[in-house]
Amino acid sequence: MISSGKMVKPSIWAGLLIILLLLPLFVKSPYLIHIINLTFIYILVTVSFRAILTSGQLPLAHAGFMGIGAYVSAIAAKWLGLTPWLSIPLGALVAMGVGILIGYPFARLRAVYYAMISLFFGMLIVSAVKAFARWTGGAAGLTAIPPLLGFSKVPYYYFFLGLTTVALLILYRLESSRPGLNWKAIAQSHMVAASVGINEARYRIIASAIGCLFAGIAGATYAHYNTVIGTSSFSFMATIMLLIYVVVGGVGNFAGPIVGVFLLMTVPELLRGLREYVPYISAAIVLLVVYLMPKGVTGLVKSLISWLAELWKKRRANNAS
Amino acid sequence: MELAVGIFANVLILSSMYILVALGFALLFSIAGILHVSHGAIYTVSGYICWQLAQTVGINQWLALLLTVLIVGSFGLFLERFCFRPFTGDFDRSLVVGIGIILILQTTIVVTVGQESRSMSAFVAGILHSGPISVSLERLVTFAIGAAMLGILVWFINNTKPGLQMRAMSQDLQGAIMQGININRTSAIAVVIACASAAVAGCLMGAYINLSPFMGDVVLGKALILVILGGIGSMSGIFYAGLILGALDATLPVFFSGSVAEVIAMGAIIIVLLFRPTGFLGRAIA
Repeated sequence: MISSGKMVKPSIWAGLLIILLLLPLFVKSPYLIHIINLTFIYILVTVSFRAILTSGQLPLAHAGFMGIGAYVSAIAAKWLGLTPWLSIPLGALVAMGVGILIGYPFARLRAVYYAMISLFFGMLIVSAVKAFARWTGGAAGLTAIPPLLGFSKVPYYYFFLGLTTVALLILYRLESSRPGLNWKAIAQSHMVAASVGINEARYRIIASAIGCLFAGIAGATYAHYNTVIGTSSFSFMATIMLLIYVVVGGVGNFAGPIVGVFLLMTVPELLRGLREYVPYISAAIVLLVVYLMPKGVTGLVKSLISWLAELWKKRRANNAS
Repeated sequence: MELAVGIFANVLILSSMYILVALGFALLFSIAGILHVSHGAIYTVSGYICWQLAQTVGINQWLALLLTVLIVGSFGLFLERFCFRPFTGDFDRSLVVGIGIILILQTTIVVTVGQESRSMSAFVAGILHSGPISVSLERLVTFAIGAAMLGILVWFINNTKPGLQMRAMSQDLQGAIMQGININRTSAIAVVIACASAAVAGCLMGAYINLSPFMGDVVLGKALILVILGGIGSMSGIFYAGLILGALDATLPVFFSGSVAEVIAMGAIIIVLLFRPTGFLGRAIA
């Protein structure tokens, strides 16, 4: 399976990419394209969330960092007249900077204490946004943000497709490179990691810097795509939803967050016709996965594939003898 | 002077509300190690059940409160058996189950009653005048019930057999099992108590502020702050944390506008936790 199937995974991804590139030719509904664009943004946020998660930190301020990127970029573009092409990198860099700045003191804390202090930091971000209502629009939200590529949905589709693909490639490479392996070591046991010479604090800060950078990019592009932002997209509950996407998709797998976002954001959004009953669908998916698939959807698929491969091998051995 | 007395009264009342709301949540977090995210939703649903019983069925509101506590308490039994027990020690998955419960409860409220907020009649009407200050009786009743419930719970945990078993469980689960403690029964008791106290809080607060399907989200945030600030594993820590948070939330808005006060309060909490991650009275857990 492993030796002969080495090209299977890349070719699946390449096929998917080609389908996605051609998709706007067949999908004419701007609403559907809009949903797919949102899916791309949330895939980016959720995958970066999981990147921090692999370093053993539960970043419950993650949606807040998305908010930092969104608000910094929106304010720079709207009030200071910066072009979105410059304000988006600015927003992302500010989000990363804040991530690094809080990374230093927060690296003192581990496990549930880290989770809780980052949760409170996320709440702090939201109340800070509300406090500076003059620039941020406060609880009512910030409107009339300059759009990045006009008001048609299709150019954004290609923009987000490119952005998400590049970001996913970077994060995927990172996971199997030195920093990614160090993160996993720290997550398993920070004592053992330190004893083999891994600088725990440093790699944890690197993890949150990278995660926050991508969250900032996603937030900033979201602001200039949606042109309206409000605090509820960046609240504590929004972060919890990111965690749910990851767990439902499967924590142990890079594709986990992608599957999770698709199942819990795209599918309920497509079923919008059911109106207020839609959360029941999400709840059903969540409970089904949690009870029946301990390792998430991708975990189940993975064990299914290896089970089939085993079966196939046995059959060939039987035929040969 | 008048301002000081007014602030003091506000501090006590806010604190007692926070404590009332956070009690059950703290019990589950400390004793059973369950991050009970659906606590806020259960609190909300209790308010609605009580309102429905009093308004639609037309029974006395205090009786409705009692019935609500019974209904929600037995829902706690179901919750423990089917939602918490299968995921013991699995933080992520128990959190996800909690979110599933929140989604179901909130959606049920939206579908049956609607999104707009509802007002429930007060449990006790009237205002108490005493010199320069006047406090509504309802606030006083909330304060008294909150204080009494905290007292009873602390007494329960320190003096009764199930309470001591809970403490043993929170200290060393393996050791507790070896001493013959039925951990399933003990955590069922904890969950029922948590749900019942959420029900009391939901009914009282529902009458105090208006009922709305998403009012539990704020409560969840406050409860989390209280538990962490008080220290995981310490019930009396809740009391001090409640007082401090109540004091911050009652005094800061006098000097700053609402959101700025919130920023300062959150900043103060973060700084405290940086220097004392285990909270005021907590002990380190792995």
